[in-house]
Amino acid sequence: MFSKIALSVAVASVMAFNVASAETVRIGITQNNVGVDSYQTTYEKAFIEAANADENVEVVVLDAGGDVARQIGQMQDLIQQRVDAIIIWPTNGQAVIPAVRQAKSAGIPVIVTNSKIADAGMEFIAAFSGPDNIRQGAYSAEMMCDALDNKGQIVQVAGQPGYTTAIERAKGFEDRLAEACPEVKILETQPGDWNREKAQRTMENFLTKYDRIDGVYAGDDNMGVGALNAAKAAKRDGIIFIGATNFAVGYEAMERGEYYGSVYQSPVDDARAALQTALDVLDGKDVPKLNYFDTPKITRDTLSQFDKPVF
Amino acid sequence: MTPIEQTESIGLKRKLNRVSFKNFLTTQGILIVFMICLAGFSIFSDRFLSEENIMTVIRQASIVGIIAIGVTVVIIGGNLDLSVGSMLSFATVLVVDLHDKIGPTNAIIVMFAMTLLIGAVNGFLIGYMKLNSLIVTLAMLSAIQGITLIYTGGQNVDIANQDSTWFAFFGRGFVGGIAVPILMFAVLALCVHFVMRYTSYGRRIFAIGGNPTAAVYAGIRKSRCVFSTYMISAFSVGCAALVLGSRVMGSQNNVGQGYELLVLAGIILGGTSLMGGAGSVWKTVIGVLILGFIQNGLLLLGYPYYTQWLVTWVIIIVAVWLDLANQRKRLFTSHS
Repeated sequence: MFSKIALSVAVASVMAFNVASAETVRIGITQNNVGVDSYQTTYEKAFIEAANADENVEVVVLDAGGDVARQIGQMQDLIQQRVDAIIIWPTNGQAVIPAVRQAKSAGIPVIVTNSKIADAGMEFIAAFSGPDNIRQGAYSAEMMCDALDNKGQIVQVAGQPGYTTAIERAKGFEDRLAEACPEVKILETQPGDWNREKAQRTMENFLTKYDRIDGVYAGDDNMGVGALNAAKAAKRDGIIFIGATNFAVGYEAMERGEYYGSVYQSPVDDARAALQTALDVLDGKDVPKLNYFDTPKITRDTLSQFDKPVF
Repeated sequence: MTPIEQTESIGLKRKLNRVSFKNFLTTQGILIVFMICLAGFSIFSDRFLSEENIMTVIRQASIVGIIAIGVTVVIIGGNLDLSVGSMLSFATVLVVDLHDKIGPTNAIIVMFAMTLLIGAVNGFLIGYMKLNSLIVTLAMLSAIQGITLIYTGGQNVDIANQDSTWFAFFGRGFVGGIAVPILMFAVLALCVHFVMRYTSYGRRIFAIGGNPTAAVYAGIRKSRCVFSTYMISAFSVGCAALVLGSRVMGSQNNVGQGYELLVLAGIILGGTSLMGGAGSVWKTVIGVLILGFIQNGLLLLGYPYYTQWLVTWVIIIVAVWLDLANQRKRLFTSHS
């Protein structure tokens, strides 16, 4: 009799536990460097909002502050806390791999968001969710071909050397440009470090060095607007400016007709896509390894179809 | 010329008679390196010595230059200021953000007030509390970066109507065909140079940097002098923030990151000793310009910009070595 009661209590408690775990999932996220730029700050806000909107989701939000060692420590904390899934925005695509492998062997699926991890780590992750930077570069190249009628000479202001995003965008742009309009030549590429003032200085030097520049491709609009500032100050008209990651300043410059086009990438979409991918993985859905959210072209002509970016 | 420099140069003159070439190399080495670079760049790029390019370089160098003038005073006084980079970020973010909220005039006043307040904190901790300047300003470097991030919440700040504000004058304006940043750089350099060289205040700063104990015995109020050097350095950061904010018409939280090292590089390159008590604003102006021309020249030759760091720091190491060689009157140390 006693053993029967004990058994039923045990069964009931196991069932209760199962029900509870089916209802709420705990997802941990370790971000790259919130607060350092507008994109990442808006991303975090959107992520928390999306998680709060779903009552079955509980999130543990951490930020590595750009520090690889701290991010690895945060991964280990999340593994210790036995969260159901971990989302990581890698501070460094190579250095975080051991921590990702550790999570996998602890049975916790890892979703990489925004920036990819190195190929060696792909086997340890459940999925990647983020923008397709190679395609973004290609989009910018196509806009450049259209704007210049497939002929001209341009310069490139790239992002910070070593950043996956910078490398992929430059590659996507260069490859597509050579394919779509081989008569548009890149005179020179210099990094602008995602910094508007740096991009402005770089562009000033380009303007001194080259008498004719028909177009500028910048790795993001923040740098693109810096380059635009330099051209306006030097009174060099008729240059086509194309960027990526549409910023509010880029949007406004397009409204004024000074800036040709960009690629619309919303941190809100980025954050929601990451959370949704994690939930799909936990639901046992068949999730592809690479999940890209949509980042359409935006030009002076299609401007009205888009909301002005909040950053 | 300060008494200290004078004694040094008397020693040098005696030596000069015997080993004049070596001496020339040790005293004027940096100028020779600069000339070789200039000649080399102008051979490979016909743009390098064009008027347009020279003006561009000086204009680009003026932000670093303006700050370097203030920091030179701190260094002559025997201290360091590593907080200028994040102070520049803070001041630029502040003036740009407030521009649309309270108008340009008020924004500039508030920005200068806050920047001078930070200078006063530095000056109080180092001058009156006698804390080590390296540690204090290194701590302030992170602390001010933190304050900037809290203030903006990580967002960029922008000025909405770039083309219709007189604030554009500081970064984009011209007076008599010369860019305003260059004029600000020149005026500040002349004023501070005059003060350091021809006033008793300047001599007091040299004295506390050269020999603090003797300076105190001579009746110089050291705490107050040190405090004032940090106020000068903060003021120069405020001027630089005007130029930077107006030039870009927007600001990021980390816009001044790394400026502290560029500023130090210019000062060291010019030949102001990090030990304090020697140096001049004039030397710093030369050092900053050398830095600017080297960076621009490498870019015009088409080198990726990280080669600039390498070349710049190699030149700095050589400059420091020549400076030391000059002090011990030989190029290499003896094995003693």
